[in-house]
Amino acid sequence: MRSFFILFRKELRSFFLSPLAFVLMALFVFLNGWLFSSLVQAMRAAVSSRSLIYNLFDSGWFWMGYFILFPLITMRLFAEEKKLGTLEGLLTAPVRTAEVVLAKYFATVVLYAVLLLPIFGFFALFQKVTGTGAAFHSGAFWGSALALLLIGLFNIAIGVFASAVTSNQLIAAMITFVGVMLHYFLGFLHQFLTTPGSMWTSTLTYFSSIEHMHAFADGLIDTRPIVYYLSLAALLLALTHHVLEYRKWRA
Amino acid sequence: MIHVSHLTKRYAGRTAVDSISFDVGRGEIVGFLGPNGAGKSTTLRILTCFLSATEGSATVAGHDIFKESIQVRRKVGYMPENVPLYTDMRVNEYLRFRAQIKGLGWRESRRAVDEAMDICALTEVSKKLIGTLSKGYRQRVGLADALVNKPDLLILDEPTNGLDPNQIRQVRELIRQLGERHTILISTHILHEVEMTCGRVIIIDRGRIRASDTPQNLVRRLRSAGTVNLEVQADPDLVVAEVAKLPGVVSAKHTDTRQEWASIEIRTETNLDVREELFDLIVKKGWPLRELSRHQASLEDAFVDITHQTANEDSPS
Repeated sequence: MRSFFILFRKELRSFFLSPLAFVLMALFVFLNGWLFSSLVQAMRAAVSSRSLIYNLFDSGWFWMGYFILFPLITMRLFAEEKKLGTLEGLLTAPVRTAEVVLAKYFATVVLYAVLLLPIFGFFALFQKVTGTGAAFHSGAFWGSALALLLIGLFNIAIGVFASAVTSNQLIAAMITFVGVMLHYFLGFLHQFLTTPGSMWTSTLTYFSSIEHMHAFADGLIDTRPIVYYLSLAALLLALTHHVLEYRKWRA
Repeated sequence: MIHVSHLTKRYAGRTAVDSISFDVGRGEIVGFLGPNGAGKSTTLRILTCFLSATEGSATVAGHDIFKESIQVRRKVGYMPENVPLYTDMRVNEYLRFRAQIKGLGWRESRRAVDEAMDICALTEVSKKLIGTLSKGYRQRVGLADALVNKPDLLILDEPTNGLDPNQIRQVRELIRQLGERHTILISTHILHEVEMTCGRVIIIDRGRIRASDTPQNLVRRLRSAGTVNLEVQADPDLVVAEVAKLPGVVSAKHTDTRQEWASIEIRTETNLDVREELFDLIVKKGWPLRELSRHQASLEDAFVDITHQTANEDSPS
């Protein structure tokens, strides 16, 4: 446990001492700020039955920027250590492989949370400035935050895994991007493949991030996505652990 | 300190380490010598629990390397080949981090880092980014990292690789000082280094141990320990014939046929000096003499001899 915190601190440090975190943060604030303000304008022009939060997280523009985030924050985690050879020094120190994996994972989760914070700042600021309570209710606010956290936990686990299987950061980034996008599009598959109301529709809906987001952004906390994302993340982290241990036995 | 028995590591279609066994006692400085690709690094990686062996067993500081890997890693200071370091950290920051993950407390680690930087002469660069340091300094950062938690055993994989002669001398001196307090296992292919620092040498080639002895004994055991070179102005065949008659001479050979002078290489029985008898013979015959020298064998000769021998044995003929 002690080693975990030392490693966790070191990872966080290397995130925030490099320009990457700040460049990403600036880009992300700019992108979402623009989206946010155009959304407010659009909602003023035409009546919407949905809240501001629902509309923002329903927008394809948001997801586009969002998915580029994961390859960028996870690609260097293990790939860089493998390329530099520092993994050898790290794993011959008296630390457990699991501690290394978890430290890198949770440090990235913290970075992710910090990067998303401004979006929720926009909402809070909007409410404060305009004084309208009608834009959204607190259930939508906390619900969508929770949904983003869950989806993030899962997507970061994909990135950690991809980074562990290769020593090339670009390949890690591509695997992550494809993995993340594939899962997201799985949620749209039912619109093309099946007739509405069939068993396939309900099954595929279960994987659909956008559907989960819709429910959470309406303030409806569903436990099924919570279990779904957490268990997938745990599975991917266990696989990452195995990939790292495999180096010992490979012939 | 180290006990290795029948350790084997097989990669697909290739045996990197082939059933090697050796021991290293407490306080020894042992050189692990071999040509490139002989299996040195693989062996060291197994001993530091970075890789697993295919067969065999080993204990380090009394702990089994497979079953008690964490305890082993706590007792070993390891400097990997090419010294991988986090280039975006400062020297003191990096050493502090390493000291802490090796189990030192917050205050303890500060003192230990200061001490390690002092030993390795790093204090003046302690605030510099590792990425900006020269190779010699990086090597010393790696060394400081290996010894920061005062481990019982230091395992150094080619510690002087890529350094200039002055730096090599400094590192060698450092290793010799460290040998007073630690048990050290050094892998290297630089023979001079081993001769200067190590009390014992293990020569490994093609995954097998070919010799394990003190550098002096290895040299003494060698054929070329009794080689004398002779250059006189006379008929080579006559010289060879006369020299071969001397007691203790095993063989005499005319080597350089291009010259007018006869240069003869004489093999004698081990540790026998025949130069006096040779001189008497030359004076008696009245041959003009240009060279009479006894070849002083070095560890390099031993190394070449041992690894060359095995190469001939192993190659299908």
